[in-house]
Amino acid sequence: MANPFDILRRPILPIAPDPIFAQRLRARLERLMKGTTMDTDLAADATIAARHGDVDYVSLWVPDATKAADFFSAVLGWSFEPGSDRRQVEGLSIRHGFWGGQEHNTLFLCFAVSDVNAAAARVEAAGGTASPPDEQPYGLLSDCVDDQGMRFALHQSLGVVGRSAGPANGARHGDISYLTLEVQDSGRFRRFFGDVLGWRFQPGRVEDGWGVEDVVPMTGLQGGHDRATCVPMYRVDDIIAAVARVRAAGGTATDPSSESYGLMSECQDDQGTRFYLGQH
Amino acid sequence: MTDAGAELLELFDRALPQVYGYLLTRCGVVGVAEDLTAETFLAAADAVARDDPPEVNIPWVVGVARHKLVDHWRRRSREERLLETLQSEQAVPEDPWDAQLDGLRARQTLARLGPHHRMALTLRYVDDLPVADVAASLDRTLHATEALLVRARAAFRHVYLESCDG
Repeated sequence: MANPFDILRRPILPIAPDPIFAQRLRARLERLMKGTTMDTDLAADATIAARHGDVDYVSLWVPDATKAADFFSAVLGWSFEPGSDRRQVEGLSIRHGFWGGQEHNTLFLCFAVSDVNAAAARVEAAGGTASPPDEQPYGLLSDCVDDQGMRFALHQSLGVVGRSAGPANGARHGDISYLTLEVQDSGRFRRFFGDVLGWRFQPGRVEDGWGVEDVVPMTGLQGGHDRATCVPMYRVDDIIAAVARVRAAGGTATDPSSESYGLMSECQDDQGTRFYLGQH
Repeated sequence: MTDAGAELLELFDRALPQVYGYLLTRCGVVGVAEDLTAETFLAAADAVARDDPPEVNIPWVVGVARHKLVDHWRRRSREERLLETLQSEQAVPEDPWDAQLDGLRARQTLARLGPHHRMALTLRYVDDLPVADVAASLDRTLHATEALLVRARAAFRHVYLESCDG
């Protein structure tokens, strides 16, 4: 008696996938094989890729990038990707760079999107500006400005879009655990990023303070500031030691205070870049 | 670029439709097939970068794809675990099943099963792997795999016969 289940058997027959999908995957594979500086990120893409709306790259914008790289590597123990000229930090949950020649110290944010052309169109429709998406080794990138003058970027990675959330408060010492967005008009900001990224907001505990729902890393927003600044919180294993290192490196740090999420210190580097340390 | 890396790139144009074809016919959804195809080649690229790379050929890449498929159904089955438990409470009719099945209805039935059962029957009957190879793919003992196949066949039979009424 023949096994009735044998009818299910299907040999492996080739099927051509969507040609654009095929082309992108091939390009990604080539870059991986040829070993560009971004290849660790491309490999990581498949496992913990940023979801649409998450931050997938940050850069500390400062007057002197070399000085900042020295300061933060001393304080947080960061090391740098080979060949990046001490501009790309290695081993963090979200890729982190440095960019010099800036007069306003802030953390520049790049957001992952599933379709950068559609997202760029939404930026323009919402009153911002977006550069035509440009092909980079790590995907398509559009440089943008929001409707209140804050610069940011949109990134569509090749191939896989993230399905599950990465760690919301970082995973290890040196990772970003929280982002504070200080903006001018929080209502305009919420409308703009609600449109562009689909962000949803819930009221926070402070005056004109808002939390962004379900975003990695965890992000809070506050209105009423003169100009937009993004202030990162870096997680540390031992905040007392980290505070000492900030001060030894020529920066300033408040004595650690106890918050609901752990111990916190408000800091500045030796160029006036504001940041927080958090021991969770 | 390593030798194994160059081989993988050369193989890509021929291997891609095989991998995609394998995954699409087993999971049935274009988006999932694309995701798993990308994961397969990235995992292959990772494997060839190691000190002791495997032999790079199409059956090997399809093997990687099969692993990614199993991982995918494992994730899905964790999500559907409660439903799994309820389904397994049904009375298990004994093997053997003396019947000739309609091909289309059989494939539709397979697609309707819980991911755990779908995974086991796909490896055993769609891919035509010996039970020992199914066990290896699922990383389970032979005994546990045979027990899973018995329950999977019973679930299949139940759903297939249900679809014949009315």
